[in-house]
Amino acid sequence: MEERLDSLYAEFSREIGAASTGAEVATIKAEYLGKKGRLNEILKSLKDATPEERKTVGSRSNELKQKILAEIDEASVRIEREEIDRRLASERQDISLLDSLRDRGLGSAGYHPLTAIGREVEDIFISMGFDILDGPHIESDYYNFEALNIPANHPARDMQDTFWFSDMHHLLRTHTSPIQVRGMEKHRPPFKFVGPGEVFRNEAIDASHEAAFRQIEGMMVGEEVSVAHLVHFLKTLLSEIFHKELEVRLRPGYFPFVEPGFELDYKCLLCGGKGCSVCKQVGWVEALGCGMVHPRVLRYGNIDPDIYSGFAFGMGWDRLVMMRYGIDNIRHLRSGDLRFVSQFRAY
Amino acid sequence: MKISMDWIHDYVELPAMSSHELAERFTLSTCEVEEVLESGKVLEETYVATITGIEAHPDADKLQLVSFDAGAAGKGRVVCGAPNCAIGMKVPYAPIGTTLPLGFTLEPKNIRGILSEGMLCAEDELGLSDSHEGLMELDGGASIGTTMAEYLNSKPTVVLDIDNKSITHRPDLWGHYGMAREFAAAFRVPLKRPFNPEWRRKMLSRFGPGKSPVSVTVHPDSYCRAYFGYTVKGVTVEESPQWMQKRLLDCGLRPINSIVDISNYVMLEMGQPNHIFDKKSIEKGSIIVRRVGGEEEFVTLDEQARHLEADDTVIADGVKPLVIAGIMGGLNSGVTEKTSEVFVEVANFVDAGIRKSSTRIGLRTDSSLRYEKSLDPLMLEPTALRILELLLELNPGAEVEGKLEYDGIDLSELQPPVIDLKHSKIESLLGCTLERSRVQEILEALDFAVSETTEGFSVTVPSFRATKDVECDADLIEEIGRMYGYNSIPAQPPKWKIEAVRLPNPKRLERSIQDFMVLHGNAHEVITYPLIGDALLEKVGWPERNDDLQLANALSKDMGRMRPSLVPGFLEAAADNSRHYNRFAMFEIGRGYSPESEGFSRERNLLAAGFYDRQSSRFMDAANTADRLLSFLRLSYRLVELREGSTGKGNNLPNPAIPRDWPGIHPFETLDIHIKGKPAGMITTVHPVTMRAFKAKGYCSIMVLDLSLFEEDSRPDKTVYKPLPRFPHSVFDFTVIAGPEDRAADILRAAEKVRLKELSGCSVADVFDLGDGRRAVTVRATFFDPERTLSGDFLEQAQKQLIAATEKAGFPLKME
Repeated sequence: MEERLDSLYAEFSREIGAASTGAEVATIKAEYLGKKGRLNEILKSLKDATPEERKTVGSRSNELKQKILAEIDEASVRIEREEIDRRLASERQDISLLDSLRDRGLGSAGYHPLTAIGREVEDIFISMGFDILDGPHIESDYYNFEALNIPANHPARDMQDTFWFSDMHHLLRTHTSPIQVRGMEKHRPPFKFVGPGEVFRNEAIDASHEAAFRQIEGMMVGEEVSVAHLVHFLKTLLSEIFHKELEVRLRPGYFPFVEPGFELDYKCLLCGGKGCSVCKQVGWVEALGCGMVHPRVLRYGNIDPDIYSGFAFGMGWDRLVMMRYGIDNIRHLRSGDLRFVSQFRAY
Repeated sequence: MKISMDWIHDYVELPAMSSHELAERFTLSTCEVEEVLESGKVLEETYVATITGIEAHPDADKLQLVSFDAGAAGKGRVVCGAPNCAIGMKVPYAPIGTTLPLGFTLEPKNIRGILSEGMLCAEDELGLSDSHEGLMELDGGASIGTTMAEYLNSKPTVVLDIDNKSITHRPDLWGHYGMAREFAAAFRVPLKRPFNPEWRRKMLSRFGPGKSPVSVTVHPDSYCRAYFGYTVKGVTVEESPQWMQKRLLDCGLRPINSIVDISNYVMLEMGQPNHIFDKKSIEKGSIIVRRVGGEEEFVTLDEQARHLEADDTVIADGVKPLVIAGIMGGLNSGVTEKTSEVFVEVANFVDAGIRKSSTRIGLRTDSSLRYEKSLDPLMLEPTALRILELLLELNPGAEVEGKLEYDGIDLSELQPPVIDLKHSKIESLLGCTLERSRVQEILEALDFAVSETTEGFSVTVPSFRATKDVECDADLIEEIGRMYGYNSIPAQPPKWKIEAVRLPNPKRLERSIQDFMVLHGNAHEVITYPLIGDALLEKVGWPERNDDLQLANALSKDMGRMRPSLVPGFLEAAADNSRHYNRFAMFEIGRGYSPESEGFSRERNLLAAGFYDRQSSRFMDAANTADRLLSFLRLSYRLVELREGSTGKGNNLPNPAIPRDWPGIHPFETLDIHIKGKPAGMITTVHPVTMRAFKAKGYCSIMVLDLSLFEEDSRPDKTVYKPLPRFPHSVFDFTVIAGPEDRAADILRAAEKVRLKELSGCSVADVFDLGDGRRAVTVRATFFDPERTLSGDFLEQAQKQLIAATEKAGFPLKME
């Protein structure tokens, strides 16, 4: 009797294993567990067995019924999933066909490198409490020169090849310094701000010179603002830009709107000051021009130089971008060429 | 400008240091040393040798094996190709390890299999001349083993090349004597003062009491402030002495003859330009400094005809102009070999005047360069005397005729400015503490006269710093700071009130748009040129030409004017990119410029975005990106389709982003962007005709937005939270027929006209093309009541109303 149960289970296992549709499973279930199913058949034949035998076979067959039921459930789940997967197979798509495969070479979009670095610099200053200002690109002689202590016929006008409009009075600003003048008109000391923006020079264009490029101007005015403060902020700026504590030095530099005026250098990162091709064997790299605001410029801004002092600086922004990314030709920056801009992913 | 250190050493004794260190310290205290030029060092490393033997090279016809003896410097054999080798000849010998002026260092070298132990040198190899005609033949009496420096009695030369830009504000640094003063102050050593009162008396004693054969008249309306002149007879024009020639060469000037060289030498020494005439070329015995007065041609000594205008100043004689004042002499008044009598001019001109003339004529000379810096009139007399000193030194028989003539302003009236300098101001501006005595020492080393006051100092500015350079206390603090050493000032954060700062609104808007376009629009940011050419505007057919914003001195026609809009340059870039990519999106935020009668010009921040595909129009990408962007920016906006006969609010107003008459606007794929009820932008697919102008294939849809109309707004976030619904909503779909000209938006608008507060909205669930130009549009209406579950009766009623409303608007229900 027990052998019959064993062989029944063996047959069931084979059949259920081979089932591939829900209908087949239902048929198998009826065949084995139905009223007239094979398990009942065996149980029916127990009538003639001894009570002892009936007891053991009864409990065995009950166990077997539970086992078969569980396996039928299992098979139903398996088969349902198989049926769904067959449908999914018919809906299958080419999952390698990413957009980037269609627009070969153009990956995810990105910011222009001037934007990326500009934001970095702006954020450094915002974090130190500087406001951000800008002004018009087309300026008058007054804002670009006169109020910055560069009167007509001043030799310093030669240093800045100017684009003039035909009235010979308006011009394209040659530096972001007019933002200083406008800032002083708008704010009363103490104040501190930076002015990032486009500037223009009438220079022959080559790989390192553009007629339009960007600068970042900065100014801080208050009581007893000193050279020591200037060094503090500019050292912080450069260390943040290069993500590294930098050594800086000031040397005399001439800009008519500051007095004293400086060039600020940082110790060459490549050679550590020993001299290499990057720093032209000097060991120091020129970073920016700066100085203490000229008393006359403060006066143009209606600020009393006997009470207040301030520092100002101006830095080339394109050059910073070129240094950061190793760009060899400044003209790429304003070419609108996606082969160039699509290389940058900075966030 | 080039500074000869040998010359500087005439006036200061500097502590021993490498020339690199010298250059660095001078750069930190005074001005930028761009380069240190060293020459003649090789002469200390090369020796006098005698040739002791000559053999033929076994493997080369033109080479010889030359044995030599250089005494204590050694003996050896070199491979040599010089034709003039002879036994017993004395020649310079450079041992292995010597670095030659040409830049290479001698190494042991096999020449055709024979080791060469150093080199016997020609003149060019030692940097002595250009000659390479054979070995340099030394005097037979030269003793072997001595250095070439000893043999030639020459010292190595160090020349500092100074960046002219770093001394534009320092008229006193355009001569060696002025530079020497800086060295003295920077290295804290005394300055020798050869041009002292005693010297002045001695030199003045060489003049006679009578009139000079040439009289001097300065017209007050000319650019001339002051003019010294005198005549010297008995000079001979020949080659100037070696020491003078060498210094001129070191400073980059070519020696000409003894008279011209003296003129140049003194200019380089005193920083004061001057002119020496052949006295015979001065007619009628008079020098007249005057305005040109009219227009005139003048031939300068470089044989160029120059066009002079009324305001230019000339030095003329009784008949004709001789010199363009302060700029360049004429062809016929210069010194020649026959000159025996000279007239010396030392004059001062108005800086701005010389600058104006030299810029207009297009001629910048060593002289005009210096005059532009505003020279000190009190330097004239010492310069005149120094020239005389050298004339007499080189021409012992020469004699001054008459007195030192002068015309011009009263020089004794020039009062040196006195500046009150508070010690506290020095310390507060530099941000460090300083000894009073150090301040005084620095200023006095720079020839400022200093007297102490209770609060600090009273400082008298020397005349050579008083022309424009030093005017106020900040100027003096610069002197103190640079000599004290800026790098001795420790960096220090300020004590400053902490205040919250945030990005200004336009900047915040710019960043939000950039973020959105990059992250959501998947567009690459580009920057194009703000200067463009008329040809590009013509090509694009842009109606605004900005003729009033043309540059007077443009680099080229293609960059001749300000762009009225981003569109032309942006499209050009897009067209270029279409040659490399089949599909892309790009955007730019930049300024457009327009002329304005008041205030000259107006600048607006604009956004341009472009969606390109080679195969099909991406207008809907452009429109959807615009739609989402404007919503993201929390603007109150509408996208408006302009159709024939449509007269919606604001539809006939000009569009500030794209002029309505631009031929690039697409007849069908165009939407106006209205912000705050007014046109502020446009979305359009660029017309194929415009694309053709760029020879570009494919479709480019653009979105242009005038940011200036709302960038200053702060647009506070007015969102108010609504609780989530407690009752279910009901949905009803129905399908209507729409004709080819019909708009889905109009169907929804018609449906939403049903005035039921329970109707929370309608949207398009599906669109099916019926193939005959008509479309079946399935509208999904959502009903919702926050207070209850809606009843079946209500919904049935509402659905009927919806269908009736859309049918009334001309969209019949689709029958199955």
